[in-house]
Amino acid sequence: MGKNKNNLSRTTGRMRGWIQAGATLFSNIHLSNFFKGGIYQGGGKALCVPGLNCYSCPAASGACPIGAFQAVVGSSKFGFSYYITGFLILVGVLLGRFVCGFLCPFGWLQDLLHKIPGRKISTKKLKSLTYVKYAVLIGTVILLPALVTNDVGMGDPYFCKYICPQGVLEGALPLAAVDAGIRSALGTLFTRKLVVLVTVAVLSVVFYRPFCKWVCPLGAFYGLMNKVSLLGVEVDRGKCVSCGRCAKVCKMDVDITRAPNHGECIRCGKCVTVCPADALAYGCGFGSDEKEMKKETEK
Amino acid sequence: MKTKMKKMMMLAVAAVLMLSLAACSGKSSKEPGNLDEAVTMYQELMEQENEIFAKNKKLWEKVFMEADKGMTLQEDGKNYGEFLLDTIESAKDKFTEDELKTLKNGAEEIKKIEEKLTMLEEKYPEVAEKAKENGSTSCKDGSASVPADSGNMDEFPSFEGKDLEGKKVNSKKLFSGNKVTVVNFWFTTCKPCVGELKDLEALNKKLMKKGGEVVGVNAYTLDGDKKAIADAKKLLEKKGVSYKNIWFKSDSAAGKLTSGLYSFPTTYVIDSKGKVVGKPIVGSITSGEQKKALNDSIEQAMK
Amino acid sequence: MSRRRKNAARLLLIAAGTVMVCFGAMRGEAELVLGKAIRLCLECVGIG
Repeated sequence: MGKNKNNLSRTTGRMRGWIQAGATLFSNIHLSNFFKGGIYQGGGKALCVPGLNCYSCPAASGACPIGAFQAVVGSSKFGFSYYITGFLILVGVLLGRFVCGFLCPFGWLQDLLHKIPGRKISTKKLKSLTYVKYAVLIGTVILLPALVTNDVGMGDPYFCKYICPQGVLEGALPLAAVDAGIRSALGTLFTRKLVVLVTVAVLSVVFYRPFCKWVCPLGAFYGLMNKVSLLGVEVDRGKCVSCGRCAKVCKMDVDITRAPNHGECIRCGKCVTVCPADALAYGCGFGSDEKEMKKETEK
Repeated sequence: MKTKMKKMMMLAVAAVLMLSLAACSGKSSKEPGNLDEAVTMYQELMEQENEIFAKNKKLWEKVFMEADKGMTLQEDGKNYGEFLLDTIESAKDKFTEDELKTLKNGAEEIKKIEEKLTMLEEKYPEVAEKAKENGSTSCKDGSASVPADSGNMDEFPSFEGKDLEGKKVNSKKLFSGNKVTVVNFWFTTCKPCVGELKDLEALNKKLMKKGGEVVGVNAYTLDGDKKAIADAKKLLEKKGVSYKNIWFKSDSAAGKLTSGLYSFPTTYVIDSKGKVVGKPIVGSITSGEQKKALNDSIEQAMK
Repeated sequence: MSRRRKNAARLLLIAAGTVMVCFGAMRGEAELVLGKAIRLCLECVGIG
């Protein structure tokens, strides 16, 4: 039973690139808009996609949860969004940061950029920076849009407006390429965010997923949900020989044997693939964790 | 759905183009047999109207300047030619005897043309939009029109709408009654759109002294959505906006234009002939490139 | 966290999440999201 699970886990890990590509396509299905100019304006945009995918992208099939949250919270009508928070909780409980590892287009971009050959620097010593994304979440996504309002109660979506590089890559650039009106509207805001995008891109070549680790508010939220997510990584204590190979190969600086539900683990499956004792596997469902492990040790 | 409509329109345009080429050689029948014939007749009549204006451009511009704004608002079903006659009457001391004669004759002709146009519109409601669609390719000579901008629509689609108080607004009368009309598209939950309302109000005050006007279109209020209108009114009041905001049906040509807009705020500058001057300005007009572009277009429209 | 507590927390969160989504949708949040997503306020997405 353990072996089967392990094989499925390893296969999933190997298929990750394809799943990421598919998820990116699924989040941006209206490809013809890239040529036509304009964006998809249908009802599908009332629903959110799980990853960070700007709804200004011509091909975007749904709304970005972070953008949508700020839109609701920044409106004069509401101060908090139950709709989006509920959605994030549901996705978080089901998948946790599996979204980051498999379903987020921007995560995929960083993965691809990191494949570019060159010097790679470990982020192990920069672990304290991982807390910055929580400040981004609380500050720019939740508080500022709700509290800093104009005379009619409207707030700016601070993260989208000033920080999010995904919006530049998916929205501003493709739209400006095809639409002259948008081209002439590009101003200092765009330039500043372009700098953010280029910085993130360059850093991604050297460091692994710097945005996911240090900035992304969506990753911050899903990370909190890792502790209770149904989908996670299981450690079979009976098989584990404490060789430390998993911790060594982990690019998110997580020691999975010590913290299987660490907030930084994006469930990429590298540790599962590399474990010599088959002690690691994806687990899903309510019966996972201790129960399985107890069964194994009892045998 | 949008691509289907586009394809149908393309086919219709192609058909009309072929017919209008044939129609150039002159048509004599008074009653149009089908939509295409109606479109060609409509275009011919519009051209005749344009020629009348073109012959005495400076005189007519004087008339437009004299047009009292109060008049444009009240005349709902009134004929445009009659409106011109009234305007000429009220400003008759500004013109010489000969000029008056020329203007009055022109206005009378326009009155007749307008009657025919209305008849066509009643029979074939889409004729106005179809005629404007391929306006740049049909035979045009001596008409004082702005050269068509490549890839841009030339004429702002006409509409019959209402302002937020329920008063009727007709696009032709609105545009011709102003030297320049600035149409600003916005929506209630768009912060920069709301942010530029003060500047637009100031612009309106400035333009009104020169014979122009700012008009707002809140994309949420299309089709007369009562709640959206109430929300918009509340907001406009709060922001001290006095210029009128209008809405029209979403399936009208202007409505389709509005629904097709995906970036806000967007501002159009329209001259007295109902033609779009310059490119639509995308983004807030409070500063930078947009402000400059807006002022340039306004100046060009007022020439 | 013991398995039982974990599962309880999961069920509670799933329930809460579902209720919140429905409540939010009912009070018009989904409509607002749609409105903002199909009509781009350019400044909000960092253009201009």
